Amino acid sequence: MGESTLLDLLARAAALEQADASLEAPSGLRFVDRAERERFHTWGSLRTAALRVAGSLRRLGVERGERVALVYPTGIDFFHAFFGVLAAGAVPVPLYPPVRFGRLDEYHLRTASMLRAASARLVLADGRIRSLLGETIAAARPRLGCRTLSALPSVPPTDDDPDSGEPIRADDLALVQFSSGTTVDPKPVALSHRAVLAQVRALNGFWPDDSPVRHSGVSWLPLYHDMGLIGCVFPALEIPTVLTLLGPEVFVTRPALWLRAIARHRATVSVAPNFAYGLCVDRIRDDELDGVDLSCWRVALNGAEPVSPRVLRAFQERFAAWSLRPEALTPVYGLSEATLAVTFSDLETPFRTTRFDRDLLAQGRARVAGDGVELVSVGRPLPDTELEIRDDALHPLPESRIGRLWVRGPSLMEGYLDRADATARALVDGWLDTGDRGFLSGGELFLTGRAKDIVILRGRNYLPADIEHALDGVDGVRTGCVVAVSHLPEGGRNEELLLFVETRHDLDDATRSSLPRRCADAVLGSVGLEPDRVVPLAPGTLPRTSSGKLRRSEALRRWLEGRLEPPRRVTPWFLAGAWLRSFGGFLRARLGLRSAA
Amino acid sequence: MTTPDSTSPPPAHDDEPVLDVLRRLAEKELSYDGPLEREQRLVEDLRLDSIRLLTLALAVEDHFRICLDEADEERLVTVGDLVDTIETKRAESADADG
Repeated sequence: MGESTLLDLLARAAALEQADASLEAPSGLRFVDRAERERFHTWGSLRTAALRVAGSLRRLGVERGERVALVYPTGIDFFHAFFGVLAAGAVPVPLYPPVRFGRLDEYHLRTASMLRAASARLVLADGRIRSLLGETIAAARPRLGCRTLSALPSVPPTDDDPDSGEPIRADDLALVQFSSGTTVDPKPVALSHRAVLAQVRALNGFWPDDSPVRHSGVSWLPLYHDMGLIGCVFPALEIPTVLTLLGPEVFVTRPALWLRAIARHRATVSVAPNFAYGLCVDRIRDDELDGVDLSCWRVALNGAEPVSPRVLRAFQERFAAWSLRPEALTPVYGLSEATLAVTFSDLETPFRTTRFDRDLLAQGRARVAGDGVELVSVGRPLPDTELEIRDDALHPLPESRIGRLWVRGPSLMEGYLDRADATARALVDGWLDTGDRGFLSGGELFLTGRAKDIVILRGRNYLPADIEHALDGVDGVRTGCVVAVSHLPEGGRNEELLLFVETRHDLDDATRSSLPRRCADAVLGSVGLEPDRVVPLAPGTLPRTSSGKLRRSEALRRWLEGRLEPPRRVTPWFLAGAWLRSFGGFLRARLGLRSAA
Repeated sequence: MTTPDSTSPPPAHDDEPVLDVLRRLAEKELSYDGPLEREQRLVEDLRLDSIRLLTLALAVEDHFRICLDEADEERLVTVGDLVDTIETKRAESADADG
């Protein structure tokens, strides 16, 4: 426990590797590509490369405490850059790379605004990504530009930290990460080494310690995501052990490769958000799992988005045939501002749900009711972490009362970087306002929604997630791609309930035309509300944060402005088509022609 | 008839029309069994979302052993665009090999 920074952890892992060179398999990172070819890098080799990067960064003029943005796909270069930046005394800021077939124009806007918010002095990227970043760099103008690792000034190789400057301390920043809400007003979350190490040790303290099990993990989560980097990589480094990494694009295109990697390497721990478990159920074919045995998988954490009991059950039922343990699925809760995790449910027992009276929940009280709303327990706080449910006047509420969730503990952020105003709103007297709502029952946390996401109908508050979950399993609806919002229409007398529903791509006409009615029926049947309007949408239309969470109020805003549209590629032909359409409209109006449509 | 695995290397100069291969990949990788014709648009007509586009693109890369870059992706609007791009890339790699 003498280590106080991530660099200390890396040095310790490298030293253990040297001492144990003749013993069992070394620890490090294993990368799996989409053809399931693997490359392994020990922590020691990673450190050697990172120290060389650090020397180059110093020669380039990167100074202590300056932010360096990293834009990489999952691969060893990301880690050489990440630890290299740290060893140079600077602060890494992992950002997400452009997705293939994505909207580059929107990507440039978001990324430039994150670079500015983090005051990045330099952007490090791999060659392919660097060639796409031109517009972003032109807009954000980092002082030292955008470079690849191979284009950094070369320095003689060294076995140890070449710097004789001030040592890096626990209070220094370990990284800056962006929480949700990236597009509107990106808030860079600044985390110290102390906070990150406290989190990592708390996580590692949670794994069931019944040696001789040697824990190891598999992750496909993106490295710019707190759950990927802090939740998977750093705990593996702290033990130290082996972590097997797949790129997120590998998982979304062939989800079976995730489960196959877990089984092949006898991994004990793997983490994913709710949608990923649903994707596995929907997309993996039995024949892709020939010979797979998931009995090694002790902890399947489910976090980063609301956990659906239906998805948990479907996953468990489907993969029990491949020896998935019933107690593996473990709902958790956390947020970037608390480094990562806040609560964990019991690792050794199956996930638990409880039904609560629907009407009382909307009034802010939780009472168990057999026919009520089913909520998943996300468990109890991590050691040394405290929770408080508070009312709007910040007074603590007793158990079973719904309020805003506040957190205190050793892993809270230092604040939002250079954003004293936002920091003062989020951190009050050492407590973090999570912006999430929920209640405690029997000491366990149940989440009920976001503070700002409330559907208000006929003077009553409803929880949007409740309404949205009613559409799980409605034929033709993309599970989890539904938004329930309410608003008072201009000139209207009552709030109206709107459902924005992304439909599956492969609908036949009958399913498509009956979909609004079936959605309305499902909501009426389960929540007792008749939606005023069901708006079917093409896949990908609903706005999301960079971490994939639905942005309800933004969806409503776009819809009200007539801008809730599926993603489109902007091409000359598209622009020409738009011009022709508007010109045609102009002609029809001028000539008094009726539209042919 | 046997269906070649998308991850196994195809014959270097497959005589099977590219569109037929695409139909097979779409069925295997996307469970898509509707019509697939040159003039159909990938997003608007085939309703391919980002994950499905990516899935199809990776399957194409693996099967034809080519690499689609971002400039290609910008141009790919219809099935025909995809077929043409594949044929161009295959010819380029054949030239490079020869």
